[in-house]
This record gives sequence, structure tokens and C-alpha cells, in this order.
Amino acid sequence: MGTRILTVEDDERIRTAVRIALEDEGWLVDEADSGETGMEQFSRQPADVVLIDIMLPGMDGFELCRSIRRTSDVPIVMVTARDDTHDVVAGLEAGADDYLTKPFAPKELSARIRALLRRVRVTPHDLPVIRLGDLEVAPEQGVVRKDGRELHLTKTEFKLLCELASAPGKVFSRENLLEKVWGYDYFGDGRLVDVHVRRLRTKVEGDPANPRHVVTVRGMGYKLQP
Amino acid sequence: MRLLRRGLRLRTRITIAFAVGGFLVSVMLAAITYGVSRNTVLDQREQASRQQFLTNARVVQDASRSESVDYGELLQSLPQLAGGQPIINLGNEDEWVSPSLTPADLPEALIAGVLQTGQAEQMRYEVPDGPRLAIGARLEPSGVAYFEVVTLNEVADNLRSLAITLSGAAVLTTLAAAGMGLWIGRTVLRPLVGVSAAAQAIAGGRLDTRLQARSDPDLTKLVASFNDMASALENRIERDARFASDVSHELRSPLMTLRASIEVLESRRSELSERAATALDLLREDVDRFQKLVEDLLEISRVDAGAADLALSEVSVVDLVQAVADSTGRSGQFPIALSRNLGDPVILADKRRLFQVIANLFDNADKYAGGVTGVVIDGDEDAVTVAVEDQGPGIPHAERHQVFERFSRGDQARRRGGGGGAGLGLALVAEHVRLHGGEVWVEDRARHQPGAKFVVRLPRRPGEN
Repeated sequence: MGTRILTVEDDERIRTAVRIALEDEGWLVDEADSGETGMEQFSRQPADVVLIDIMLPGMDGFELCRSIRRTSDVPIVMVTARDDTHDVVAGLEAGADDYLTKPFAPKELSARIRALLRRVRVTPHDLPVIRLGDLEVAPEQGVVRKDGRELHLTKTEFKLLCELASAPGKVFSRENLLEKVWGYDYFGDGRLVDVHVRRLRTKVEGDPANPRHVVTVRGMGYKLQP
Repeated sequence: MRLLRRGLRLRTRITIAFAVGGFLVSVMLAAITYGVSRNTVLDQREQASRQQFLTNARVVQDASRSESVDYGELLQSLPQLAGGQPIINLGNEDEWVSPSLTPADLPEALIAGVLQTGQAEQMRYEVPDGPRLAIGARLEPSGVAYFEVVTLNEVADNLRSLAITLSGAAVLTTLAAAGMGLWIGRTVLRPLVGVSAAAQAIAGGRLDTRLQARSDPDLTKLVASFNDMASALENRIERDARFASDVSHELRSPLMTLRASIEVLESRRSELSERAATALDLLREDVDRFQKLVEDLLEISRVDAGAADLALSEVSVVDLVQAVADSTGRSGQFPIALSRNLGDPVILADKRRLFQVIANLFDNADKYAGGVTGVVIDGDEDAVTVAVEDQGPGIPHAERHQVFERFSRGDQARRRGGGGGAGLGLALVAEHVRLHGGEVWVEDRARHQPGAKFVVRLPRRPGEN
């Protein structure tokens, strides 16, 4: 069974060109021309990855992203014509896993999709379960528990947490995390890490403003407090 | 600086105007005071002298009625409260009697007047000793003429000290006026110093600079119009920048379609005829160039709008240069040399912008000089330099600034042509480097080797100078 990608884009020409290019890469592509139809299509036939243009008439990309996030942790890639901090951060805050700026090469999009779909790397040593105070990370089962209660994380949040948990106490730089979690080589956007850490904190921390688990190391990066 | 200098000049002018005004007024007042005082003092003195003269003259007249008068004794017995000295003419031109004077002490005109007309007369005159007053009258019926000479030296001395005092006062008044002018000038110009600083700030790119409101109604107007002007300027610049940015955004959508379509065609390259494949290559290259131009335009309009914020992080310069070479398909095409004793220089910089800086310098070498021949990384405690060298024709001195201008088309660009022009690449390099507080320049390669050397100097810690 092929991987289904839902592209939500109001410009028909872009939609068509991107669809053909993605199909050449071997993906199955569904199309929607507005936020509303995108939402409807997604609830009828859930996709494996959703590609959302931010500037849509009616329900905009941010809103669609939030709506999908309410029911699903499917990887979402935002497409923006502006790489202003505001749009990028707002898109990530709305729940997107990654973003691309128009015009992007479809090959680059395919690479991003593959990185998002990649399973959590399981280390050769097979860390079974990592316990950190009230937090319990089980990479094998893909489960995180807090006080015994199962938490709902997106795939990317989970990958990020597992990466940090692979070496509790070790400081991971943004570049490091971008490479390991998102598959960027040298030029990833550090904001991806920052926003995802923020989102992760709202789920795993008792008080996200004063994190005890995912700690910022000023000027260096992040670490998981052992 | 220029505004400040002008301010000083205006202040000097105000000071001088006040000093001149003070001087003129005080000199005028002094002159009037002196004139009035002088007349009053002299009048009083003359009146006193005349009184004394008349009293004495009456005594002499009475005495002259008798036949045997010893005028010498008589004259000595006369009181001289006003400081006069008597002399008598006995009716004959040559017969004079006086205890202390000779006829030469009297002005001839007075003698002649008194003797001929018989009128009482007085006359003020100068001798080398000082001013004098002489009074004379013919006494009837004896025909004796009685004269008195009063020395006015003392009066003149008094008047001289008055003049000195008044001059001193005039000098002091002038100085005080100058001081006041200086103070007023400074007070009046003080708000202008704020205006000048604000204008400089605006010229320096801080477009949101405004003057603070003042309570003085005169200044309120100035402040209001200055701030209106600044707002208008800001709006205008923002509108221009937004326009460039909007245009770039609008261009991104068709570019998206073009890129995706080209990629579809690329993957079917084997199905294309040779001519169609060549056309596809041309299309792809120019779409790439077009996209680069749009990105650069967007980037530069963001800098113009002051919306460019540096996302600083620790960057290894060597890693960065290597990464640029790798990701632009130039891996291993030229040596990257690192000066000894430099270690692995790490600077605080915006990685994305720095990437563009190096990539644009590489592109520039490709376009105009047949490609990069080497990169040399050097530096000291404060800064790191990256030099990108080529073996092209070099850049003449006259064009070394021009190449960093937007869309500059120097002889270099024309000669190399290729239809491209220099575009925005180097202009963007200059803007990015400037944002980091660094510098970029072109120089000749060492030891007269042919080619150009673009050097970027970046502070290790931007903003900490």
C-alpha cells in the first residue's frame, strides 16, 4: 500500500504541478483546494502526511492544522510564501512538524516527508524503558507515560523526546537535534527545535514555564534532566 | 557634526549680536551721562566763579573811586573761595597789577573785548596746564578792568575719572551682554541638539526615532512637524520595502509551478529529444537564476525595511565554508586554507545569512572569474576573515566599491556578460556583513598573482565592540 499525501493548496496550477511531481516520486496524492474541503477529505480518508499551504481562502492553513491536530498526530508540513518568523512560528505552534518555503523543489519535499515518516531510531543496545521521575519513555512501544498515564505525543515530539532520552543529562545542540529528528544536514531552522520543545513541555511538564524534564542549556541547546 | 557646527556658529552670532548691542547701548548711555554731568559740573563751577567775581569786582569798584589805592594789597585781601586769581588793568593797555598773574595768562580776545566794549565777559580756554575760566569787566567810573582766572584742573580731573568709570561700566555691560547672548543662544539651541540627534538617528536607519513632546508651545510646533516628517518618511520607506516584498511573494507562486513542472520534465529527460533537453536546461538555469533574484530581492527589501533580525548562534567558520562548498556542488574543487595558530575559529553569527555571503561570493567567482581557486581563513582575537580568491581578470580599483552596489554593471559585468549582470548577490553580501558589524572588500591577490580576492571580515562577537 502506497503512502498517501494530502495537499491542500488553493492555486490550481501549483497543486497540479506538485501532484505530478510527487507522483513521480512514488507517492499517492490527494488534493483539496480549501481548508474546509481539506478537513472533510482528511476525515473521510486519513492521509499519511498532510501538506498545507498557509494562505488559503476561508479557513486558513493555521486553522486547518489545529483542526487536524485535535484528532490526529499525522505529520504535517506547512508551505509558506513568507519565511518571516511570524508565519513560521505560528505554523509550528499550530502543530506543523516542518515547513517549506515556496518555491521548493518537490525532491526536497519528498526528502522532508521521508524524514517525517521514518520510525524512531532504535539504538543497537535497545533501551527498553527510560524512567525519569514521573516520566516513563518506552521507545519500542512508542509510548510515553506520566504518573502512569499515557501521554499523547505527535510522531515528531516523540522522536524528539526519545532522542533526548537516549542520553539523559547530555546536552544536544539544535543542529544535532535537527539532524537526528528532522534529517537536516547542516542548514536546519533552529526555530523548529525551539517550538517543538515548547510543545513537548506543555505535555510532559507539570509547569511548562519552569521545566524540570526538558531543560534549556543557555547558548548550547537542550537536555533531558536525569 | 555639520549640524552641530552650524549650531555653534549661530550661537556665536547670537553672542556677538548681544555684545554689539550691549556695547552700543552702554556707550550711548555713558556718552549722555558724561555730557550731562560735564555741563552740570562746569555750569556750577562757572556760576560759583561768577558770583565770587561779581562780589570781588564790586569791592574793587568801590576802592577804585578813591584816588590812592594800593591795588596789589587790595587784590591780596580779596577772598577767593572759588579758586580764582585776580589781575587788574589800570585803564592803560600796559599797566597791569596782579599778585600772581601776567596779562599773558589771559586770552587776548577777552582782554580786547572787555577793554573795548566795557561789557562783562567770560571765556573758557585751554593752557598746557589744563582748562581755565577767565572773567573780566570794566569798572566805571574809574575805567579799571578787573579780571579773574579760575583753574579748572580739578573739574577736569573729576570729569576724567567719571569718563574712566563710565568706560569701565560700558566694558562690563558689553561682557555681560555677550554672556547673556551666549546663555540665550545655548538655551534656544538646546532643543535643536535633540532635533539634530534625532535626524542623525533617522538618517542612520532608526526610522522610528521621534522627538519627545515639549511643554513650550513654540517648541511643540517644531516637535510636531518634525515627528510628522519622520512618520511620513517611515511610512514611505516601509511602503517601498513592502512593495518589493509583496512583489517577491507574488512571484513565488508562479515560480513554484515552474520549479515543480521543470522537475517533472527532468525526470522524463530520456524521453526528450536533444533539442528539447537543451531547451529544458536553459529553462531550468534561468528559473534558478530568477528564483535566486527573487530571494535576494526579498532578502534585501527585508533589510531595507529594518525587519532583518540576526538569528545568532555559534558557527564554526571552517565547517560553514565546507558546508557551502559541499551543498553547492563545489566539494573538493579548491583548497580551504586555515592560518596557523587560529585553531577552529568559532564566531557568533547568523548561519543562514553567512551561508548566503559565502555562496554569493562563490557564485560571483563562477560568473566573472572562472571559479574559486582558493579560500583562506585568517583572523585575530576580535575577528575572523574569509578570503575568496579567483584567477579572473581582477577588478580595477575604480570599481571596487561599485561591485557591491545593487545591480551594478561595471566593466566587469559587461565584459563577462552572459546576459546576467551582477544582480544583487554582492549587494546582499555587503548588507549581511554590515548586519553582522563586519566589512567586505576586494583586493589584489598577493605577490601580483592575477585575479581578485574578496575578503569578508566578521567580528567574533557582533555588537560587542
